[in-house]
Amino acid sequence: MPNRNARPSRRAAIAGALAFGAAPLIRRASAQPAQGVSPALAELYEKAKPEGEVTIWAPGSPSVQWIPAEFAKRFPAVKVTWLGDQQASSRLIAEARAGRHATDVWTFSLGGTLEIQKRGLLEKYDWRKFGAQDRDIFWDGEAVCNHNYVYAPLYAKAKLTADQVPRQWEGLTDAKWTDKLMSDSFLLPRLGGYLAIEWGLERTQKWIKTLIDQRKLLVTTSAVSNFFKSGERELAVAESVSGAFLYNKDGLNVGYQIMEMVPATQFVLGAVKQAPHPNAARLLIAWLISPEAKMLYETLAGQADIRANSDSPLAKEIKAAGAKVIYEDVETMNQRAEYYRKLMSIVRGQG
Amino acid sequence: MAVQAEEAVVVSAVRRKRRGQLGWVGTIAVTGAALAALYLVMAPLLALLATAFRGPSDLLPFEPGAHWTFANLVDVYLGTNLLTTTLPNTAIFVGGSVAVTFFTAFTLAWLVERTDLPWRTAIFTTILFPLLVPGIVMAFAWTLLFAPNAGWVNVALRFVLGLDGTGPINIFSMPGLILCQGIASVPFVFLLLGAAMRTMNPALEEASSTSGAHPLTTFFRVTLPVLRPGVLAPLILATLVALEQFEMPLIIGFPARISVFSTRLYFDLNPEDELPAYGKAAATALLFLTAAIALLLVYNHLIRRAERFVTVTGKGYRPTRYRLGRWRAPAIGFVVLYLLIAALLPAVVLVWTSFSGGSNDALSLDAYRALLADNRFWPAVRNTFVVAGLSAGLITLIGALLAWQILRLRFPGRAVLDVVSFLSIGIPAVITGFAVMILHLTVPIGIYGTIWILILAYSYRLAVSTRLSRAALIQIHPELEEASFASGGRWLDTIGRVVLPLLAPSLMASFLLLFIVGFREFTIPMILQSEDNWVLSVIMWKLQSDRQTAQAAAVGTMILLFVAPVIFVLRRQLLSRTES
Repeated sequence: MPNRNARPSRRAAIAGALAFGAAPLIRRASAQPAQGVSPALAELYEKAKPEGEVTIWAPGSPSVQWIPAEFAKRFPAVKVTWLGDQQASSRLIAEARAGRHATDVWTFSLGGTLEIQKRGLLEKYDWRKFGAQDRDIFWDGEAVCNHNYVYAPLYAKAKLTADQVPRQWEGLTDAKWTDKLMSDSFLLPRLGGYLAIEWGLERTQKWIKTLIDQRKLLVTTSAVSNFFKSGERELAVAESVSGAFLYNKDGLNVGYQIMEMVPATQFVLGAVKQAPHPNAARLLIAWLISPEAKMLYETLAGQADIRANSDSPLAKEIKAAGAKVIYEDVETMNQRAEYYRKLMSIVRGQG
Repeated sequence: MAVQAEEAVVVSAVRRKRRGQLGWVGTIAVTGAALAALYLVMAPLLALLATAFRGPSDLLPFEPGAHWTFANLVDVYLGTNLLTTTLPNTAIFVGGSVAVTFFTAFTLAWLVERTDLPWRTAIFTTILFPLLVPGIVMAFAWTLLFAPNAGWVNVALRFVLGLDGTGPINIFSMPGLILCQGIASVPFVFLLLGAAMRTMNPALEEASSTSGAHPLTTFFRVTLPVLRPGVLAPLILATLVALEQFEMPLIIGFPARISVFSTRLYFDLNPEDELPAYGKAAATALLFLTAAIALLLVYNHLIRRAERFVTVTGKGYRPTRYRLGRWRAPAIGFVVLYLLIAALLPAVVLVWTSFSGGSNDALSLDAYRALLADNRFWPAVRNTFVVAGLSAGLITLIGALLAWQILRLRFPGRAVLDVVSFLSIGIPAVITGFAVMILHLTVPIGIYGTIWILILAYSYRLAVSTRLSRAALIQIHPELEEASFASGGRWLDTIGRVVLPLLAPSLMASFLLLFIVGFREFTIPMILQSEDNWVLSVIMWKLQSDRQTAQAAAVGTMILLFVAPVIFVLRRQLLSRTES
């Protein structure tokens, strides 16, 4: 016979169940921010705690997959989830129309944010209280500057040295590069869009056509790392410093070259209207634009903020090389998009 | 013909009687199947049609502010190079790859079915093997084999021939694309041609040979004309299959900047950081849909002729096998070359890459360890099995019910349902994926981004099931069902105890074929993908895009392991059907 006295009383059982159920809430409520967090962020954190989580959408995984672990070290009561999807803009628009609100934070290039912003899906917020300067803020606070995507050719170190790679984009049309070049189909016309701002469309079109028709540049839809690995090609024209970072992290031995002109796509962050976790969204954005998070972006994801007041090592390297940086900005956005469309049709064999 | 006429009278009489014998269960089943067919095939097509006339292009078709317009059609047909570049490229690609497919498949089918080639059963099974492998895996493997600088075959050829520079083979070209697509489509056409050759009456050939005709004369003047109905239909089907191909044009054709219909549509729908050009993509799709439907009508006409032909003369004999004689060695060489390129080398490359990552570093199991630890992998395995299995089951069930009511019942709209039942075979997967997306963005019923939208989208392939069920039902005399009804059997009893047991082999074959097609499907899940509904082929593409080559190859290897057993079951089903 079981001993009745050994069984827990009903009161004790209920208390235990309540304690078990409430444990996460208690933990969340008591979770303190890490030391060194600014008072403004700590205040936001208090508001975000009850929400418990925050979701960020980005064009790909490399720029966001490092965030959950680092954010949890500083703000343990708010869990970060992410989605990396190039088609996030049409999904956000479709879901907003259907009344479904799944994301809190949006991070994309300035150009990739335009359709979202035009539809009023981003919330205005004053990011200056978290250190953002006026020139970092777009559309009255609907977006705030984050990091830059810095274009640079990548080369296989096993086959080429830095001295062998030209520092001028035109140098890549030299006959010695025949059958050695490749480029991502997505990035090449975008790089061309920036260069066309400086060169004009006609010269850029000629440059791309020479690369493709005479230098037999291989246009790929999959990652150029496959062709580096197999030895099929030696130099990827339209790549980035962050690409080199990621490839080297994967064990591929590649270098990047700072060219005479350095196109830099501007990535921005924005809080989504009707976000399920609005305070957590503001907290995440406010932290991501802090100097500490920007440094983490550079060291963990290879994505640096190279704008004028940046402490980024890459920004210093570009400055030391005497390169001219072509920033993505609102003024040239439409012109670049027009160039991009024309150059894209060449790259895709439709023009 | 007299037999046919008599059968028609019986069927007609049965149809008139049967309507009253359906009962409420039968009425719900057949009506449900008809409505499901309309939803699965016609609803997305109507959404597609409507989208072609919605604008402006900077608004999604269903957004407030969008309106009816001809601007998409004007832009696409007058303002782009669709007619001057994409259409000619597509024609060359389709024409070339179908020629390669047909030559190879016909030769293989002839050797396996009509000659004394050794190890025929083993060869039959091995030829089917590439049917299991997703096109993206084949494209990836061929790229590693035939890339101009570092492709294994090119490196070996340069070494053997003492050549310098690149090549001699350049896979990234129109001929490379044509050859790869042509070889990839062989198993499907081989199955159809093999069936036609297996059921061919040898009497005329024997008469020709007895009259002293040379075997080649007999082949061209007797065999080919006799086979014509059974050959032309697979030819058109192969054309339709090539028209919708996406993986090879994306991975092999695109680096050579060859824009064909499917890749153009894909890039219109995936502009990366702009909104998808739905209206323009739909306008583009209309042209190819029209071409596909025209081909389909010819196909349907031919297949009806072929059915009649087989019914009258296709039983009770075994075709004569030609002795290969001195052609035995070249024939074996041809088969071995095909199997080497289509099955063995890609499989070796795939497995090697999964252990090495495509570099010459030491082999390791790291990719498999990483894959098994990747929290996307097992959900993708589950999704792939669920989507392929449920869609195959759904289509098999609906297809069988459709075929039954079209053959056995007379009701208003039967002809329309007949057209709907075979229409899907003429709709490229890229159009289906797009149309289903448009439909569910326009009418949000909560399945967008889930596996259920994939199950619905995959289920548009009704024609496979209706064709197989129809062929089997034609062989089942309606008197059997009539006897069951006359004995007081209800509709469900009759179907369950009379029709289903006789139809089971066909339903099984239909399920297995659709399961395989669903398992390797790439185009539709690429268009409808979300984090919640990733399947293995999409995971493989994402890993490849994320520079995880070894893991991508490991996914390909796992796909082979998962579906390899299916090929043996399928072969048994096909052979048992032939024997029966």
